[in-house]
Amino acid sequence: MTVREEAFPSAKPSFLERLRDSLLILWGSKTAMVGLTMVMFWIVVALLAPWVTKYSPTEQDWQAQNQGPSAQHWLGTDDAGRDIWSRLVYGARVILIQTPVTDKFSLPIGVAVWGVLLGLVVGSTLGLVGGYLGGWIDEIIMRLLDAMMAFPVILLYMIIIAAVGPSAINVVLAIAIVGTPGIARLVRSLTLDIRTREYIRAAEVRGEKLWYILFVEILPNASGPILIDAMLRLGYAIFAMGTLGFLGLGLPPPSPDWGSMVAKGRRFILAGSPWAALWPAVAIASLVVGLNLLADGLREETQRYR
Amino acid sequence: MLKFILRRIGLLLLTMFLVSVIVFGVTEAAPGNIARNVLGAYITPEQEKSFLAQMGLDRPIYQRYLFWLVGNDWLARRRIGMPLKQIRTEKGFLEWWAVEPDGTLIRWKLEGENLIAIRKYADGRLEQQEDNGRWRVRAPAEELARLRELRGQVEGDARLLEEDRSALLGRLDVIIGVLESVTNEQEMLSALAGPEKELDAFIDPNATRLEEGLLGAAPELARDEIYEALVIYRNLSVGATVNIPPQQIANKMNRAAGVVAKIDPDLAEQLVNAQNAFQAGNVEVAMETLTPIMPALEAQSAGYIHFVDALQGADFFAAEQALREMADPEKTPLDSAHAALLGRQLGKAGGVLRKISPGFKALSEASTALTKGEVETARAKLLEAADHMAQVARNLHLTELARLAKVQRTFWGVDTNNRAVLWERGGTRVSWQMIEMGMRRIRGGAVEYLPLQRGLLRGDPGVSVRTYRPVGETLVLRLRNSLVLAAIAFVVVMPLALVLGLIAGLNEGKPIDRILSIFGLVTTVTPEFVSGIFLILIFAYWLKLVPGATVFGEKAPWERPDMLILPVATLTLAELGYVLRMTRASMSEVMRTPYIRTAFLKGLPYWRIVFKHAVRNALIAPITVIMLHVNWLVGGIVIVEAIFGYPGLGKYLLEAALFKDFNAIEAGAMVLVTLAVGTQLLADIAYTFLNPRIRYQ
Repeated sequence: MTVREEAFPSAKPSFLERLRDSLLILWGSKTAMVGLTMVMFWIVVALLAPWVTKYSPTEQDWQAQNQGPSAQHWLGTDDAGRDIWSRLVYGARVILIQTPVTDKFSLPIGVAVWGVLLGLVVGSTLGLVGGYLGGWIDEIIMRLLDAMMAFPVILLYMIIIAAVGPSAINVVLAIAIVGTPGIARLVRSLTLDIRTREYIRAAEVRGEKLWYILFVEILPNASGPILIDAMLRLGYAIFAMGTLGFLGLGLPPPSPDWGSMVAKGRRFILAGSPWAALWPAVAIASLVVGLNLLADGLREETQRYR
Repeated sequence: MLKFILRRIGLLLLTMFLVSVIVFGVTEAAPGNIARNVLGAYITPEQEKSFLAQMGLDRPIYQRYLFWLVGNDWLARRRIGMPLKQIRTEKGFLEWWAVEPDGTLIRWKLEGENLIAIRKYADGRLEQQEDNGRWRVRAPAEELARLRELRGQVEGDARLLEEDRSALLGRLDVIIGVLESVTNEQEMLSALAGPEKELDAFIDPNATRLEEGLLGAAPELARDEIYEALVIYRNLSVGATVNIPPQQIANKMNRAAGVVAKIDPDLAEQLVNAQNAFQAGNVEVAMETLTPIMPALEAQSAGYIHFVDALQGADFFAAEQALREMADPEKTPLDSAHAALLGRQLGKAGGVLRKISPGFKALSEASTALTKGEVETARAKLLEAADHMAQVARNLHLTELARLAKVQRTFWGVDTNNRAVLWERGGTRVSWQMIEMGMRRIRGGAVEYLPLQRGLLRGDPGVSVRTYRPVGETLVLRLRNSLVLAAIAFVVVMPLALVLGLIAGLNEGKPIDRILSIFGLVTTVTPEFVSGIFLILIFAYWLKLVPGATVFGEKAPWERPDMLILPVATLTLAELGYVLRMTRASMSEVMRTPYIRTAFLKGLPYWRIVFKHAVRNALIAPITVIMLHVNWLVGGIVIVEAIFGYPGLGKYLLEAALFKDFNAIEAGAMVLVTLAVGTQLLADIAYTFLNPRIRYQ
């Protein structure tokens, strides 16, 4: 298999070759393929949001509240007569494709992805610095992260959001803060291993700067496990976004937020209209499970080749 | 081993310290103010400040943290000079009292200028009596300086009548003389009694009521269509923030237009244009429309605008001037346009103000005269009202000066709301007192508050600002409920997960393993609220087998065991997969070890190998790892409690966090951190016992 070539850095495969290799790995695992299909469904639908929905996610129709699935509303309507399918699709868009900052301005890439990226940047830096330098710097970083890890995640979320108020940016920050300690620990353990290698010694002898050693020598060599971990973390981040939304700490209404859709729909289940709670619950479950299946399958396959 | 445990406990304390500091810092940095949560969004900045002072929240953060940690009763004891005691009432509230030498409990309240002592005897009898003997002169030197300055003020005060001024100065000289010559406090107090009694003659007993009435009327008078529109315009034109949604601004413009429509149709039309611009959210266009017309509108109702502004600023002399301005033919022609506008406004003002002081009925009469077109009568009546306003203003001013002329007395005591309080007698400070229906404006009273607490380190996490109940007790109750839920879930999850995990591990790679693994993965990564919703839908909605929510009374959670089924099932689903996968991994690893292969090669029966050799080793990892999983479990419990409305710790903390009930958040965080770190320690210790290969140095 071409993957073996990675052991010989001289024969560097091109980007396309590497893409083909990873797709081959994916193809080999049924679990990963199922996961990929579920994730791709939401990505495609979120990208094409304006073309796959008939209604705006905030358009209310007081004539049609809490309806079941029909030809007009594919998945039914919620208590304000809004089309559930539109809200689901635009909800996926917020998670994966675009982060609304103000009414008029929004960033590309979704809230959950930004949260993970920010956590990766901060966590990797802390882990690299702690792991490479060691000593009291490492000790301080690790004790602080321990304190954060000892803190129940949910309480951390609640306090952060309750303190800064619900908004897309704050959810990004909360996800990043909560994710940082885990990423830092992972990167630190990888760094502890890598820093004993000869090429690091060589770089030190060459007199390279600290940042060069950390980000050019160590980080690329630790990227494999970090990427798989990041995929799992994306799952956690979506998990967390849903949970925050459910607790009323997510995106402010009337944003289409899956978690708050479930929380709102829940009140009407026992009144006889389960649809508004059922569909967003199914959506969250499918996206999170898909991501985890994908990561799980990938890990199994890569381990098999090693 | 001992050293290891001690070190870990040290780390636990360090972690708790860090966490408490972080929570304190984050709660402090938050913009959503606790005062707004308690009193509603429409409190004035003045009320907010007063409330924060009473809660002790105006103190610097390091001091509040210190008080929270070690309490502040020692400080209060020093200030008050009496021992303090915390008792529990029959209703479960905690109360602080000062203790007299004979063991009687005592605390105080202020009624007007009188200090009332409330004594509680050993037999539970309560008694109230006046206790003015406890007032002390705080700092004679400071008071002397203040009174000298006041004397200068009185001398140059043009608003006082000559006779009042000389009488006031006479008394002030006597009081200053006493302060200059007498040093003994007792003598000073008796020497001051005479001149201070004479000062009472200047104090209008109705002054407080009158002033409060006028100040209370000001916002009512400000609810005038024209005035509101003008104020909004004024604020917007100087760039101040207006905390009213554009929709409401538009409505106000519309109402103002309705009022001026009959007098000046062009003006009304412009107002409607502005309304439309506000409605469209286009403030700039609206301001462009308003800028040419508002000065005209302001000029037309100038007198009334100044009058309301003066009342709102509590400047009654200015209010008098505004009335005179209205009566002045050169400034206010009182033509037909005025007659319509001002007539309406004065009618309202008269109606409101005559209830406070009958003399203001002249305003109503002026209004009637205006609507009838009798301009001269209206002017006369306006002057009459102005004279009355002048009298009221002088009266209030004199009362204020007479109060200030008394030597201020202070007293540190315990009030009826469990605070150590520094009271001031004869103070002129205004504060807002919390009563059941919101805030009441009072004069005098407390200057400094110290909400009494014993501090976390001494076992008192404080009182919830949301319920006024001691946090500690609620927390214990809620923690118990949560632990019951967690324990039941644990009892259900553990055997099930371990057995299923062992089955999967023994059949590695076979269909049963694939099914169990995927099932475990799916249930673990699905958020609790999602699986909870699915369970409710299936079992409560479609099958109607069990209740889909929990409603518990006093005896929760044993009252209705059927209500526990779905919460436990949700938790089980969330936890099952994790333990299952852990056990599977551990079992499959053990089955590949050389000693198991040896056992097979020896020809031992399959089940004997599994149970005697493999299982025991395979269980070490999952059992200890479960302990490390407590944080995850806590998160799950919070969600499950939120889904089903279960009265546990998680729901309490969620409510506390949303409300910024900082004492409850802090205490809850401490409990959770102890749980998390404590179980980690237990896991490590258990691990050393289960696995003799590990030694801690």
